[in-house]
Amino acid sequence: MDPIRRTLLGQLARLSAGAAMVPLSSIASAGINQQPPRREGDPSKRYGMLIDLRQCIGCQACTVSCHIENAAPLGSFRTTVSQYEVEHQESGEVATFMLPRLCNHCENPPCVPVCPVEATFQRQDGIVVVDSDRCVGCAYCVNACPYDARFINERTQTADKCTFCAHRLEAGLLPACVESCVGGARIIGDMRDPESQISRMISEHRDALMVLQPEKNTLPQVFYLGMDERFVTRPDAEPVALEVLDPHGQEMGYEFRH
Amino acid sequence: MAKTSMNPSRRRFMKGAVAAGGAATFAAGYSDPLLKMAKGVTGSAGEKPEHRIHGNSLAPEYRVDPESGELTLNPDQRVAFTVCYGCTTKCGVRVRVDNESDQVLRVAGNPYHPLSADEQLPMRTPVAEALRGLSAYGDQGQQNRSTACARGNAMMAQIDSPFRVTHCLKRVGGRGGREWQKVPFEQVIEEICEGGDLFGEGHVDGLRAIHDLDTPVDPESPEYGPKANQLMVMEATDYGRSALLKRFAFNAFGTRNYGHHGSYCGLAFRMGSGAVMNDMGGFAHVKPDIQNARFIMYIGSAPSQAGNPFKRQGRLIAQARAAGTLEYVIVDPGLNAAASHADDHNRWVPIRPGTDSALAMALIQWLLDNEGYARAFLALPGQAAADAAGEATHSNATHLVIDTPEHPRRGRFLHASDLGQAEAGSDADLPMVVAEGELVASDAVMAAELFVDREVELADGKNVRVKSSMTLLREAAHEHSLADYAEQCGIPRATIVELARRYASHGRRAVVNCHGGMMSGNGFYAAFGVQMLNLLAGNHNRKGGSAEGGGQFNGVGQGPRYDLANFPGKRGPQGVFLSRSRFPYEKSSEYQRKVAAGENPYPARAPWRSLAPPTLTEHLPSALDGYPYPIKAVIGCMANPIYGQAGLEKMVADKLKDPKRLGLFVAVDGFLNETNRYADYIVPDSVMYEVWGFTGAWKGNLGRMTTACWPVVEPRQQKTAEGEPVSMESFFIATAKRLGLPGFGDGAIPDADGNLHPLNRAEDFFLRAAANVAMQGEPLPAADEGDITHAGLAPLMPRLERTLKPEERGPVAYLYARGGRFEDFQDHFEGENLTSAWKRTLCVYNEQVGTSINTQTGEPNRGVPCHGLPPLADGRAMREVFTEEEWPLLAFSFKSNLMNSYAIGLERLRMIKPYNPVMMHHRDAERFGISHGDTIRIESPGGSVVALALVGEGVMPGALGIEHGYGHRDLGATPHLIDGESQPDLEWLRAGININDLGFKDPTRRVDGTWLEPISGAAVRQGLPIRVTRLEA
Repeated sequence: MDPIRRTLLGQLARLSAGAAMVPLSSIASAGINQQPPRREGDPSKRYGMLIDLRQCIGCQACTVSCHIENAAPLGSFRTTVSQYEVEHQESGEVATFMLPRLCNHCENPPCVPVCPVEATFQRQDGIVVVDSDRCVGCAYCVNACPYDARFINERTQTADKCTFCAHRLEAGLLPACVESCVGGARIIGDMRDPESQISRMISEHRDALMVLQPEKNTLPQVFYLGMDERFVTRPDAEPVALEVLDPHGQEMGYEFRH
Repeated sequence: MAKTSMNPSRRRFMKGAVAAGGAATFAAGYSDPLLKMAKGVTGSAGEKPEHRIHGNSLAPEYRVDPESGELTLNPDQRVAFTVCYGCTTKCGVRVRVDNESDQVLRVAGNPYHPLSADEQLPMRTPVAEALRGLSAYGDQGQQNRSTACARGNAMMAQIDSPFRVTHCLKRVGGRGGREWQKVPFEQVIEEICEGGDLFGEGHVDGLRAIHDLDTPVDPESPEYGPKANQLMVMEATDYGRSALLKRFAFNAFGTRNYGHHGSYCGLAFRMGSGAVMNDMGGFAHVKPDIQNARFIMYIGSAPSQAGNPFKRQGRLIAQARAAGTLEYVIVDPGLNAAASHADDHNRWVPIRPGTDSALAMALIQWLLDNEGYARAFLALPGQAAADAAGEATHSNATHLVIDTPEHPRRGRFLHASDLGQAEAGSDADLPMVVAEGELVASDAVMAAELFVDREVELADGKNVRVKSSMTLLREAAHEHSLADYAEQCGIPRATIVELARRYASHGRRAVVNCHGGMMSGNGFYAAFGVQMLNLLAGNHNRKGGSAEGGGQFNGVGQGPRYDLANFPGKRGPQGVFLSRSRFPYEKSSEYQRKVAAGENPYPARAPWRSLAPPTLTEHLPSALDGYPYPIKAVIGCMANPIYGQAGLEKMVADKLKDPKRLGLFVAVDGFLNETNRYADYIVPDSVMYEVWGFTGAWKGNLGRMTTACWPVVEPRQQKTAEGEPVSMESFFIATAKRLGLPGFGDGAIPDADGNLHPLNRAEDFFLRAAANVAMQGEPLPAADEGDITHAGLAPLMPRLERTLKPEERGPVAYLYARGGRFEDFQDHFEGENLTSAWKRTLCVYNEQVGTSINTQTGEPNRGVPCHGLPPLADGRAMREVFTEEEWPLLAFSFKSNLMNSYAIGLERLRMIKPYNPVMMHHRDAERFGISHGDTIRIESPGGSVVALALVGEGVMPGALGIEHGYGHRDLGATPHLIDGESQPDLEWLRAGININDLGFKDPTRRVDGTWLEPISGAAVRQGLPIRVTRLEA
């Protein structure tokens, strides 16, 4: 990464990634800010993800394998990879930038306190989940998430999101997206275990890691390596693929719009 | 799923920062849930999911204890290893199957498989241990992954697709009418074998009548071979089942005519590679050793966007980015996923479509002028010198070529026999070189002069001019100036020089790679030139250079257990291919007749291509026009040339519909595509995960490997009267048996002791091939119970028992338990050299090419790469006929990392990328009054399509990029009527455009043909002349 391109926002991003690591051992299940107490899950663990963007090839294997594994409705995504065409500010050279996105399982998740029925909660292992027995589908959490990581599942009519494939982690397996990451970009693990791959990578790359929208103080626990700081904010780009034309040039809309 | 009318503001795109994939983002989650906010009750009104937290997520296939690593299988599921048909990479995958429903739940990579795993596990690993290694236990599964790509994940939907054909069909009404009736399999076999008035349109010859091996198809041209050649068999590609198809076509029925998709896939590239590698038969090609290379130029090939092997190249380039070991350049008209902004050691260099030969020759010129080549290696005149220098092979750079135009041996290497120093064709008849000013045999010296141009007196006293291969190359490279080349290809001269300098600076760890970008009008010479850069770097067989790959364990030859290549009564095909390839026109009766009549034999009525393999691009149009001879029947297996070959449909659709031009068209396929829509009969086929077969790797893997596939789920289609699934195999078996052809039925497969075994069902063939693979060399050990259980082999074991000899069953189960046989991961280098090296003399000058003749112009072809403007068949430049004034832009296609030519039915891919807007440079957009997001019409000399313009910087000015895989008219895009019942009508499958609809008939041909590359006969899809206009909304 060209140092000239680093901006103030980039500094913020790096700072908060580092800061998030500091209180890990002391946080345990104590509520911070207005967060209700954490419950369920393994209190000895704190799951997080590191995504090495240099190794993301934009293949969308994560998107599809997650979609199958978690039976998401067509057109709804627990994770996906946005692809951008970007111009180098000095050389004018054009390149592609891949941004895998998913729930950040924030240390300070804004989706949790807004839930009127406490259906959305953070487990003691840091995974933010939705209890579908309680969820009323009000979508407060959908709107509260600055990362667009949630949707209302059209079939269950409840809030739906990435769980880090908690059902697989509990079985000693890897999440679908990690398991199928062709470039080997996605690393998941217990950040409380200093020997875990993610802990070792975080300490190796601490200064280069960034998170999305650090200024929101959500303390995301999905860390990006190789990030262009212009992308830590929500990039202002329209999803072109929603434009679909038939052979006669008539707009068809988006097949899977709910 | 109602149509949504688009908000006009949606049409304002961000310029320069455009989501070009995975674009249906999370934003979709915002749509209407706000409406439900007032509900105010606990619990949801929707379907109750399986689990309050995990929703409807799949139950894990097994559990691994985080402390002990102990693995417990989920008794409701099984995991089995087979192959993916999502593209031609043919990765080994692990398939999770629900035992009760026999549904595939999800797919990932096979950890033993080199194309799916980071570092594949040794074969000796017990399967249970392999499964544990994929888990979170000790982070093992993410330190050494084995993956399936997005399409590989999504492909499972093919199995239960509503568009899948599961029953034999016979057309109702005229061909192409998309109306069918179900008929019994046995009726199909009877009707196609015996013929008759099958459709009320008059008599149709059946296969029995066509199967005439004694009567020439054309008595005036006996070289064309027998009437049996009037059956043409085509398939998409070898998905591991071709051996049985070819056994039927070539060796049982005895037709010459077979073709696959290669000629509209990457043939120009393969032939250009074959020219450098001295393999004009097999068209060997190489891939870069990404792990050890220091500098790679990808020209018309993009690791992680496309390329083969897709995942392996994508993964290696990703690792190299992170490790910082490699600098690479993507030269392509369009920006693609390989040019990554997350790392600074790579860049995209845009190039004008169809001008790669200009770039290649410019680079060659600079390298030759600046000694940027492997001088010592290229100076090695023969193998003795190579051995002494510790090199695996040598090149013909120093060999002398006779260059006197009127001499009968023009274009041949000067041999010792030409000088009377050896008997022609004897071992001593070596090519001659010059060393220290003297003419010497190539084995006599350890180094020879690279640049030679002199007169030589031959044994017959005549003087000829000879030039070394390097001199010929230098002459070709200097036919244009660097400035000219730069002007032609649109890459600034300074950039070309910089690329050449970087390339030279990395010595033998600099590599080039090319592929589908070479499918242009001058594609053969472009690929020849690009691959020449590898030879100039001297990087073949070198660490960090380019490698041919480890090859396969062949199961279908004369194996240690069974001889699957030979059988009693085997025949060999005779005669000339419909595509008139691999046969010199000068030996044809047509040529002889013209010469005898005192006429100029050139041009031939249509191109004959002595260097090219049989090409489907010529087969079908030529057959329908009866040149060199008409055909009577076509059997197509998963083939779809009408979708895949630029300009074909418009040219042949009406002819294909005419039963007088083609009597019988049988298609074996699980789906109704743009080509088999015109069939008379459809025979349903197994789709992936349901098939038997053996596949290899498309280079890029240095170890030897063979992937095994078997029906890990039960085929969904109807069964034959014998209870076997109707499929390609059962179709050929039943047809052969009815016709009484050898090689099928009882007594068809000899074992090593000469005893004969039956071929009555697919597994009779493939399980015996498995025994050959498992037991060649050092035989595999027997599988144990743990392997059988953990690899889900329970359904396979009874088949092994009823088919194989007791001593074969254990090793064969061991093979299937690992999804194939793979040489263990290891360092394939000894010092700087590859252990499984390519040994042939590498060609700076290719004698076979240099002595062949273009049958349309009568001119000899060049034996060294050279730059030329893309020509039409008669040699005129395309731009002379289709001028830039009239057709100002050039269209090019690129592979999608999601969609392929048969994936449009997969909704999980459509939901990510439902459409293919075309890439246009903002300068062109301004020129033609087009804005980002405008609807435009694209016209070519052959067609017209409507598209959406994606305006930006990510494409070469003057070029228009079209992602392949969309614009379907079949495969679900138009419903077919089966027994009066319509298939679903899903308009979404019709979205987008297909570049091949912009292809055109070559107006300079006399026998109809689309625009084809002259040497290879490859379909031209890169650089199609077009114009664009904005459509008013």
